[in-house]
Amino acid sequence: MASDQATLDGSLSSTDFQNSANAFAQKWNEFNSGFPEWSWIDCSSRLGFHRVTEGYLSLQHVFFPRSIEEEHDEGNSNDHQEPFDTATLVQSNNDSNDGDWYDFHVVYSSSYRVPVLYFHAQTSDGQPLNVGEIEKNLPTKSSDVLMDSKWTFITQQEHPYLNRPWYMLHPCGTSEWMKLLLADHNSTDRYLVSWFTVVGQVFGLKLPLEMLKS
Amino acid sequence: MASDSPIASRKVVVHLRATGDAPILKQAKFKIAGTDRFSKVIDFLCRQLHRETLFVYVNSAFSPSPDELVNDLYDNFGFDGKLVVNYACSMAWG
Repeated sequence: MASDQATLDGSLSSTDFQNSANAFAQKWNEFNSGFPEWSWIDCSSRLGFHRVTEGYLSLQHVFFPRSIEEEHDEGNSNDHQEPFDTATLVQSNNDSNDGDWYDFHVVYSSSYRVPVLYFHAQTSDGQPLNVGEIEKNLPTKSSDVLMDSKWTFITQQEHPYLNRPWYMLHPCGTSEWMKLLLADHNSTDRYLVSWFTVVGQVFGLKLPLEMLKS
Repeated sequence: MASDSPIASRKVVVHLRATGDAPILKQAKFKIAGTDRFSKVIDFLCRQLHRETLFVYVNSAFSPSPDELVNDLYDNFGFDGKLVVNYACSMAWG
């Protein structure tokens, strides 16, 4: 089959992407019940009479606490934490400053022939985060990578379906390591599960081990 | 998953397998406490190979999170009394 051949070089076709995305979402929703669910957003209609189905996977409203930041640089955070805060609007919920909200989209890239993780982050009151602020939510390891490879790791790009600037994890190395992960399992169904174990680590998101068993 | 040995004191044999252009280690097998995190395996490999980053994966299927317990990985993916860990020099990002 053509699909098997595709996995040998670590890439996959857009049809295989959809199948794999569905398999991934189904498994995630089964094993990660405490978490928001991934869902497939169908964008086929955008293509009018072209009967090509298109879409992407979406995971909305994932909460990231800001605790990592405090461990990192206590000195700095003390500096910009103002002791008197009388001028700010009173929020109804007190924990509004304790974290940020992330949306993740998995979009197929037809030029790289791999899935790409797009994400958008905002504070509880809806302010979008910039790279510097996002970095504070990431595990130390990821912020190190961000320092080392600034332009090949996280970049801002137009979201292919929303046409708004979103951040994305750069896909140029993806097929290289996916080739390794698929060496013994030539099934495109498992592609996204394997893929997510790597991209999820960037955000400290991990898959339950039961989900990884074949 | 059921296990014969008391989990707390168990040592797990980790078999490090080079793939791609990664150098082979003189000592490819070592024992590690099951209660250790997977990050210890990653750190060991990076130290041995003098590299800051490596692509480390298990079962040719996934890359474990560094905070995963070695015991849990062994229970789920161990085979023949050992946990096979593959490593390659590819970089995940850039």
